[in-house]
Amino acid sequence: MKKRFDVKKFAEELILLVATVFMLAPIYYFALGAFKTRKSIIKHPLIITKEMFTLGNFPRAIKAMKYWKAIRNTGSITVISLILIIFCASLAGFAIARVRFRLFELYYSLLVTCMVVPFVACVIPLVVQAVNLGTHNSLLGPILIQVGWNIPFATFLFTGFMRGISRDLEDAAYIDGCSTFGVYSRIFLPLLAPVTASCCIVSGIGIWNDYLVSLSILSVTDYPTLMVGMNGFFSEKGNELGYAFAGILLASIPMIILFLFLQKYFIKGIAAGSVKG
Amino acid sequence: MDNNNRKKMSQRQKNQIITGLFFILPSLIMTAVFVVIPAFTVFYYSFTDWNGISPHKNFVGLENYRKLAHLEGFGTMMMATLVFAVGMTILTIVIAFIVALALDKKGKGRINRGFLRSAWFFPTLLSGVVVGILWRTMYNYNNGVINKIIVACGGQKINWLETVGLTNFAIIFGATWARIGICVVIFMAGLQAISQDLYEAAALDGATAGQARRYITIPLMAPSITINMLTTSIAAYKSYELPYLISQGRPGTTTLLLSQRITFFAFNTNEYGRSSALAVVLILIITAFSLVQLFVMRGREDDA
Repeated sequence: MKKRFDVKKFAEELILLVATVFMLAPIYYFALGAFKTRKSIIKHPLIITKEMFTLGNFPRAIKAMKYWKAIRNTGSITVISLILIIFCASLAGFAIARVRFRLFELYYSLLVTCMVVPFVACVIPLVVQAVNLGTHNSLLGPILIQVGWNIPFATFLFTGFMRGISRDLEDAAYIDGCSTFGVYSRIFLPLLAPVTASCCIVSGIGIWNDYLVSLSILSVTDYPTLMVGMNGFFSEKGNELGYAFAGILLASIPMIILFLFLQKYFIKGIAAGSVKG
Repeated sequence: MDNNNRKKMSQRQKNQIITGLFFILPSLIMTAVFVVIPAFTVFYYSFTDWNGISPHKNFVGLENYRKLAHLEGFGTMMMATLVFAVGMTILTIVIAFIVALALDKKGKGRINRGFLRSAWFFPTLLSGVVVGILWRTMYNYNNGVINKIIVACGGQKINWLETVGLTNFAIIFGATWARIGICVVIFMAGLQAISQDLYEAAALDGATAGQARRYITIPLMAPSITINMLTTSIAAYKSYELPYLISQGRPGTTTLLLSQRITFFAFNTNEYGRSSALAVVLILIITAFSLVQLFVMRGREDDA
């Protein structure tokens, strides 16, 4: 029997492809627009021509957003927060997953409840608290808040991952007289790379893309961050589409590069969050 | 021997619990100080007339809540919030489910699934600020690319951002676009967990593809649907900068959402008490919504 052209399959794939193109169209639009002048964005928004090409948007966007300063601030907040989150969440996840104790289960339920609390509802107490702690308008302010707000989900990921690790090694280690801390540091810690990567990525996107925390804790002039800076820049020069698109591209490019290299962990991290209802 | 073993066991357990308590401590402190205590403080503030500056917080009972009910445009705001959350959730779930089903089909002559999945996931990398700015420029009446395309296809320009009612949908589209990827990935994980044996058995029994979908896929996907509905609707109630940057609450204040009003009262008019009351309303709505959804969907999962 000869293979026949499968019309149904072809139609399915075609529809899927068209839908995907629509999905990506906005990204194509701004990524292309970043290299075009305002006039050409308006006149020919979706086509590439040689004459329209310009790199002039970037220097101006970099200057207006205080890009280098902003990326340093956002980068420091993200990296330091992630280190602290991983530290706290991997320890707590180990206790919840591996030590049978009612109180730990209770704590786990508390963390799951915390995931539901909307950050925007707690902005006022957090600002007041930051002023009292002396972390208002310093990078430590957003870092502490990000750590507190990201620990619940991170612990959730670590707990789920550690529950899936076989008990054999652990039991053997205990019989050989290993302490609980030894079991954590020698047996579990080396196995945690995949979940750490997923956790870094899921929390990392959130912290990198954060707007509200930086907006409420930091002053834009002292500590510009990427998203707050970009919003300010857009409200001033929103008409200059080329600059706005260059700004969007500059602010998103680090996450995009990370995604292209670590896709597997992105997808895993998101999917892992769904395992337990 | 046996007794000795048990003693050893309980000693080991005791050690584990003590170490475990130390392990819990850092995360407990961080979440307690930065999540739990602020969440309760909001409840406290909502019963006071504090303006954020004055050292005195006078207890005013339910006054803030009473004022909220009489706030001009309170109904419109609640409606806009509800429409946004429900609209975004339904649209996201429906599109993501269809896409996940399509992406789950593998085989010769189909487009690379890894590539397509990444493409659908891509917009979720962008921040709310970026998505907001992007869609705002695309919706622009004169220069926006959406109207350009409509005109090029021979249609009439649409005033996306200044039409009462339509703008509510404009913000839903933008938010949905940025959310679909996460739901697709979760649905795909759910689909991959369904054993192929079930489909083969169904096929042997003469079930059609439609029947297999109705009686195998959808019931077994119930947990994924629950988790996606729950997380998406919570995300919708929480969304703040994304819808605001698209519509800026306009036309009038018809697309101003609850979350945005909270910071408006806090930062623009220094009404901390009233803002906190509104924050409490948001917390209660999200809690109630989650509980109802969990309850309803759990019941359905048990049926299946």
